[in-house]
Amino acid sequence: MMRLAVRNLFQNRMRLLISVGGVALALMLILSLDAIVSWIEQRVAAYIEASGADVWVSQEGVRNLHMASSSLPADRVDEVAAVPGVESVTPILYVTNVVAMGEERAIAYIIGLPEGAQAGGPWNLVAGEVDPGPEGAVIDQGIAEKSGIGLGDHVEILGRAFEVVGLSGGTSTFTNSIAFIRGQDFSDLRANPGVVSFVLVRVEGGASATEVATRIEAEVEGVTAQTREAFAAQERQVVRDMSTDLLTIMNSVGFLIGLAVMGLTVYTSTLLRRGEHGVLKALGAQNRDLYLSVGLQALVSVGLGLAVGLAFTLLLGAVVPRLVSNLGLRVSLPSVGKAAIASVVFAVAAALLPIRQIHRLDPAMVFRGK
Amino acid sequence: MSDATLRMSEVTKRYGTGATEVTAVRGVSLAIEPGEVVLIMGPSGSGKTTLLLMLGALLRPTEGTIHLNGERISDLSEGRLPGIRLHEFGFIFQDFNLLSALTALENVALVASLAGRKNGEARRKAQDLLSQLGLEARLHFLPEKLSGGEKQRVAIARALVNDPAILFADEPTANLDSKIGRDIMRLLRSIAKEQGRSVVIVSHDQRIKDIADRVLWLEDGEFKEMTTMAVDPVCGMSVVKEGAAATLEQYGVLYHFCSRGCRAEFLNELMD
Amino acid sequence: MLVAHRNLTKEKTRLALSIGGVALAIMLVLILDGFQVGMYQQITSYLEHSPGSVVVAQDGVSNLLGATSLLPPGATSRVQEIEGVAKAVPILSQFVILDLHGKKQPAYLVGYSPELGGGPWEIVEGRQPRTDEEMVFDRVLARRHEIGVGDEVKVIDRTYRIVGLSSGTTSWMTSFFFLRKSAVEDLFRAPGATSFLLVEVQEGKSSEAVRDRISGLQGVEALLKSAMEANDSRLFARFFSAPVRLMAGIAFLIGVLVVGLVIYTATVERQREYGVLKALGARNRVLYGVVVVQAFWAALAGAALGILLAQGARLAIMSARPQFLIILEADMAGRAIVIGLGMGLLAALAPARAVAGLAPAEVFRR
Repeated sequence: MMRLAVRNLFQNRMRLLISVGGVALALMLILSLDAIVSWIEQRVAAYIEASGADVWVSQEGVRNLHMASSSLPADRVDEVAAVPGVESVTPILYVTNVVAMGEERAIAYIIGLPEGAQAGGPWNLVAGEVDPGPEGAVIDQGIAEKSGIGLGDHVEILGRAFEVVGLSGGTSTFTNSIAFIRGQDFSDLRANPGVVSFVLVRVEGGASATEVATRIEAEVEGVTAQTREAFAAQERQVVRDMSTDLLTIMNSVGFLIGLAVMGLTVYTSTLLRRGEHGVLKALGAQNRDLYLSVGLQALVSVGLGLAVGLAFTLLLGAVVPRLVSNLGLRVSLPSVGKAAIASVVFAVAAALLPIRQIHRLDPAMVFRGK
Repeated sequence: MSDATLRMSEVTKRYGTGATEVTAVRGVSLAIEPGEVVLIMGPSGSGKTTLLLMLGALLRPTEGTIHLNGERISDLSEGRLPGIRLHEFGFIFQDFNLLSALTALENVALVASLAGRKNGEARRKAQDLLSQLGLEARLHFLPEKLSGGEKQRVAIARALVNDPAILFADEPTANLDSKIGRDIMRLLRSIAKEQGRSVVIVSHDQRIKDIADRVLWLEDGEFKEMTTMAVDPVCGMSVVKEGAAATLEQYGVLYHFCSRGCRAEFLNELMD
Repeated sequence: MLVAHRNLTKEKTRLALSIGGVALAIMLVLILDGFQVGMYQQITSYLEHSPGSVVVAQDGVSNLLGATSLLPPGATSRVQEIEGVAKAVPILSQFVILDLHGKKQPAYLVGYSPELGGGPWEIVEGRQPRTDEEMVFDRVLARRHEIGVGDEVKVIDRTYRIVGLSSGTTSWMTSFFFLRKSAVEDLFRAPGATSFLLVEVQEGKSSEAVRDRISGLQGVEALLKSAMEANDSRLFARFFSAPVRLMAGIAFLIGVLVVGLVIYTATVERQREYGVLKALGARNRVLYGVVVVQAFWAALAGAALGILLAQGARLAIMSARPQFLIILEADMAGRAIVIGLGMGLLAALAPARAVAGLAPAEVFRR
């Protein structure tokens, strides 16, 4: 039966193409959107994860970086430094603002770093210096390239001109990038001296980051301390919570479409095989033999569709970043699992459709002429 | 192979109800012995197909019984019939009806595996049969690449693969040229005689009479005597003498024709 | 074309499935589009309803919802002195992340003075805040989290009590909520800070001229409100256009496939009939016509159904998730039909070729 199913399936190339193509496309709807969100989730936490800090200390109640703001009085920095287990503290300033390059305006997270920062600076330097220095800036390489800016050129940040002394990689996402300047320049421009945004903590060798974070919260007033992992998870959570409803809708639509396409192709192909099914029945095949053949065909089609859909989504993952700046796809295992389950459902549902057709088929028709 | 007799007793088949009721087969009785070649002939609409369908367990009689090897198959539940067809019967069709996506070998092996044989065994059996029928070189050809005669031989191999007691052939030579048709006929006869299987053939083809043990004439749903049959010399159709559309006496021989057209043609031939 | 019509309607289930497939594809395209339109409306809603025609922002900032803007000290009074300025309404605004029932909800906080304006323009329940402990919350967001007037919400490290619910301030990405400006200054430890000035221009004066004059000031940037709205739309467009176009492209291909399948199958099945027609002398052109007409009918029926489905989906989505705004524009029907026809045309290509290649002799082969 397997042989018959496979042979029948491949006999008509066009129909095979359509059913496999349809399933692949429907699954791509699901896979690609999942992958886009997953990529964003990952990128969003990139800075936090690569920052070099074990614990992030913020204004009490602030658990996020993006779309949030945090203000701590500067004296808290020393208080945090005094907590046992803390090896070094790096206070940074942070605001969402704009990097102006000529006529181009790019939204960026501006990070103000202290001199000799132990954490919170660019982690993947592509060119130039890691330390922005006075009136210097390290900006994202992708953004710079797009605007034709290079080392030595000037950009405007927070209203003042800065010289580009470094280009960093991995510091851009969909809508914005990260730019690093000196903390002193930052506070000069933004007024509010005596206020820092975050305190990045490195813990002593062997100490547990979780414990240190708990201790900081207990001993320093008005702060929230999170381990790097916890903080990153919070960031990803924002993306995830924002996109749940959207994903649900798109996944549902993709699912429905896959069902419709599979149902249609299986039903159609069974219909066209009426004559041969009649012959088989006359020869003594049972209904269940025919169900098996149809079912196997559906399964193979869907399997191929899944493979093709997955392959194309992965291909998109390679191509899209080149075409669209700061967008990527990241295919995750749970997403593939979800697509696989959907595929099986497509196959089963589709195979159920022609059951009545097969059941009703009268083998006597073979003798009566078509 | 079971020593089977297929016995039909007073079988009637009616279609429709009330005003539209049609009786396709009336009170027909028939017994088929092992190794026998039975030819059933008759005009179109005589009920030949219906009769064949009932014999082949594809249709249930309205009245009467059909016994296979003593067992009453006309009453069996729908679910048991495919099994009977698979193991006891073999079918050969006018249109060959091979599965277009499978090779010759696969077509035959499929039917064997439906009957429960394992894949390897089924293929071997199929290969043997096909080779016996002279098709070793065509095992892996798709039906579209086979000639009519080859296709019919594949169909015959398929019909034989599960060791059936009876072969049913519906116009087996209709789509074959005369030489090939004759080969197929002889093949069917040798299967019956050498393998002891019954062969029931439904056909218009006069030449099959040569290989048949018994010739039955079905008309209006009943068997009628063959002795009053004549053959139209122009088109070869069997014609009831008394009811012939046209006749001609020439040189002491009375010719019967199916139509005035055939007689006219016959006359033309004579003129030349 | 009788032949075409008959061929299509003979197989009811298949026809239904195919029209259904096309309809779903078209529905998807329409919904995606409607979603984008709705989102732009939501994004620009605040500026649409806020006072004034010119917005003053920090130098370099040209979005409301992009960068955090902070005007240099004294900017408000300097702007008020500019010729043509009737009123300059200051607001202090910023994105914050609210933690509501374990879900992270980005929200845009606007600190304003109820006496001057720049706050919620439609309060459906309750009133404006009178003290620094009171807030006006977005109605849809409140309903989603089952909170209402009288409940308290934590923002960063302070708690505020809801005294009013606003309408028109929601979007699926972020909702607006309002506090008194002084409360926000306190929250961000930024006394006297101002993010934007919403400038009302004097009667008869040109907004562009006022804008240009303000731009001359140090450290600020002025834009027409409409320009800023456009910038916000563009910003979100950049965010969404690629994924949306990808989805729409996929949906379109699906529609083509589905129509293609039906037509191709119908053609292949009827090969004999086409062969007969050819043998009888029908030209290829006529047969193309039959195929194309079938494709068009299937696609059109699918488009019509797709429009209905889109309306239905819109209602379903918006009632289940009121933060989504889907706007199906008036020309949607036209667009759906064009898309459907496009699908039909592409889908008819392969079957038309198959028909053209048929040899009439096929008919006589038995």
